[in-house]
Amino acid sequence: MERSQNGERRRNLSSSSATGFHSNPTRTTRSSNNFRPGNAPNHSNNYHPVRNRRSNQDREGEAEKVIVGTCPFMCPEEERLQRQRLRDLAVFERLNGNPRESSPTLAVKKVPNFLLNYCSIYFNIFCRTISAQSVQRSDVRPLPVLEETLNYLLDLMDSAEHPFEVVHDFVFDRTRSIRQDLSMQNIVNDKVVIHMYEKMVKFHVVSHHKLRGSRSSSSNSSMHYLNREQLTKTLTSLYNLYEANRSSNSVYENEAEFRSLYVLLHLDSSGQPMGESLSLWFRNLPTPIVKSKEMCFARRVLRYFRMGNYRRFFCTAAEVSYIQYCIIEPYIDEVRAFALACINKCGYQLHPYPLTHLSKLLMMEESKVELFCNSCGLETSMDEVGNKVLPTKQASFCHPKGGSQRYSFLGLEQFDR
Amino acid sequence: MAYLSMGEAHRRITDYLNRFSDAVFCQNVSSLKQLLSFSSNSPFLISLADALNLFQDANRLIKQSDKYSQFGDIIVPLFRSLQNYRTGNLVESYHAFEKSANAFIQEFRNWESAWALEALYVLAYEIRVLAERADRELASSGKSPEKLKAAGSFLMKVFGVLAGKGAKRVGALYVTCQLFKIYFKLGTVHLCRSVIRSIETARIFDFEEFPTRDKVTYMYYTGRLEVFNENFPAADQKLSYALMHCNPRNETNIRYVSSVFDAYALHLLDRNSPDVSLMILKYLIPVKLSIGILPKDSILQKYNLDEYSNIVQALRRGDLRLLRQALQEHEDQFLRSGVYLVLEKLELQVYQRLLKKIYIIQKQKDPSKAHQMKLEVIVKALKWLEMDMDVDEVECIVAILIYKNLVKGYFAHKSKVVVLSKQDPFPKLNGKPVNS
Repeated sequence: MERSQNGERRRNLSSSSATGFHSNPTRTTRSSNNFRPGNAPNHSNNYHPVRNRRSNQDREGEAEKVIVGTCPFMCPEEERLQRQRLRDLAVFERLNGNPRESSPTLAVKKVPNFLLNYCSIYFNIFCRTISAQSVQRSDVRPLPVLEETLNYLLDLMDSAEHPFEVVHDFVFDRTRSIRQDLSMQNIVNDKVVIHMYEKMVKFHVVSHHKLRGSRSSSSNSSMHYLNREQLTKTLTSLYNLYEANRSSNSVYENEAEFRSLYVLLHLDSSGQPMGESLSLWFRNLPTPIVKSKEMCFARRVLRYFRMGNYRRFFCTAAEVSYIQYCIIEPYIDEVRAFALACINKCGYQLHPYPLTHLSKLLMMEESKVELFCNSCGLETSMDEVGNKVLPTKQASFCHPKGGSQRYSFLGLEQFDR
Repeated sequence: MAYLSMGEAHRRITDYLNRFSDAVFCQNVSSLKQLLSFSSNSPFLISLADALNLFQDANRLIKQSDKYSQFGDIIVPLFRSLQNYRTGNLVESYHAFEKSANAFIQEFRNWESAWALEALYVLAYEIRVLAERADRELASSGKSPEKLKAAGSFLMKVFGVLAGKGAKRVGALYVTCQLFKIYFKLGTVHLCRSVIRSIETARIFDFEEFPTRDKVTYMYYTGRLEVFNENFPAADQKLSYALMHCNPRNETNIRYVSSVFDAYALHLLDRNSPDVSLMILKYLIPVKLSIGILPKDSILQKYNLDEYSNIVQALRRGDLRLLRQALQEHEDQFLRSGVYLVLEKLELQVYQRLLKKIYIIQKQKDPSKAHQMKLEVIVKALKWLEMDMDVDEVECIVAILIYKNLVKGYFAHKSKVVVLSKQDPFPKLNGKPVNS
């Protein structure tokens, strides 16, 4: 998918013998409809001939041939057999817990080991220089198989059997492999692919939330970091897909929602290196997206965040969806800290601030408020009638270190379970 | 079109070939420039194009004589480009032009002195403009526009050729500015970073050596980048520089930079061409507003900057409703130019102004009690502006204003009052942006 950043579109010539996971004739036909010149039903104004106006057929035998996968399973048979021999099976792939045995319904193609240690630049180069000679078509899964694989993987996320980090690690790697297969086949003109990318973005967003504040060991924090990296990449690829498949001024049904996620991910974008500010990002946004309900919501959140208007920020945050919550959760605590900083600095010394009121203001349970104040270096005390209060003008205020403490949000507690 | 004979076509072509080779041999850059400037649509080039399209075998003429054939690599594609330009095939025209420009760079490299620099500028300009038109042609036939991006890559190559120790290096800033224009147009503004780094940190470049015109354009674009990143002091400095140095007759006295909006400045602005002043002001005004400096109405009127007049008014009056209305009314425009978020941030200054007005009114009624302001009074004032805010939110706003040094004092939660400092309760920004 990274290839589509060039804005070049290729036809997907899978008029092949793709048997697919289900031998579903409708599906195969639908895919091949996209490739007849000038006859792309969904994107009539958008048919793009290949680079330099030569069709793929003219370029037979050249290194950049587009591959069409034929592997009918979630994992190519050869790989599965090899990994069984080498005992390189993930927990989810083991048949009856046996580390040496898997099955076609359990094994999922993984990212090759030698690629894992490379940074994403090399990963992309690898994907792009794959040639028909060096990769077998039987090792690459066609679109219908990839779709089924993705659904299978995402179902695993609900399993309670294993710790979240273990599930995440597996799905993280296997979805990366899915994207690799999509990229190798250069599948860009398909609504199905867009939905797949949308689902993968959601996966990364949820992981972003769940991995944060899990026992802060160094391996988990690097997992969180790597996930954030892939989240950005997948989101960017998704935006490229939206662009590549745009006809006239229309937008995809979910596009506004997924564009708004970018804003929420970059609430504190000032102070970023040059050229990545939100101001620049908004410049290129199509008008229907700018005016959409989801984008207006995100912009409101942005406005309150930038101004520091904690009162309105929390009122607005109370209306978020689960996905939006996963993204803005770290900012919620940041704004809470800012609110405490303001109250501590500017509040009248003889009027300590009641914790009950703080709790309503910061949308936090009262018991957690005290904890939070402490993590900001502030002490609480009690007034004459026994109510808990926060004395102001304490010199010891500091911003809380990114700890593992979760403070939850009044009214949205179910999001943190 | 008047009848054109083969003989006349032949004559025109040889005329061009002679002019070209003479220009190179005599190192006559003004002559050479004119031979490359397609977009000037000069009668000379138009008539040459017609001649080429009729004659169809210019290559033979070029090969006939050593005087011309040594420039064959440049001229053959250049002719092809011109022919296509004339017949409106801009994509083909671009291809050929890039080929020709490539060959020109090779020659340019070998010329020891920088005599042909201005011809190089013309090429850089033409390639960008031609690429833009080619992309429009591609887009309108449903294809992927990619020529402007290619022009960008080509100009990076040119930059590389100029970035050396010799006299040619003063050309690097012009090429940089063409690159800026390309990146801004393509929306790949982050690519500006590497060029800026080369210009500002490479030891071979001394900024002061570059031609003023290029420095102004450079400061304009880098100033805009600073606006996008909300580095207001830097944005102010760069955009003001551009304004000051636009016209060579302006004095370059830095002392006046911060008072760009007083009467003297109006006089300076007059000296620039109105287009240029307008371009710069579009970005300079939000910057100035962010550091608390309001432009005179006369400037806004003169340059038709209506979109800013209500905003300035809102800041003067402390009218929050007006600010929000103005932002909404010109939302598209502000978003496209990238200043929307900057203007949104002005809300805090508007609040400050509102509180100051209430303070002044209270002072008139009872000076001894003026420094105490009930939060309820602020709620009422906002209601009068049709803004619905509860006491909690007002307390929040007041806390922020105090925290960010827009108001001096403290708020008392129990009595729901803000107590202002007796001295200078509403400090001016004085050219500094609001504390983050």
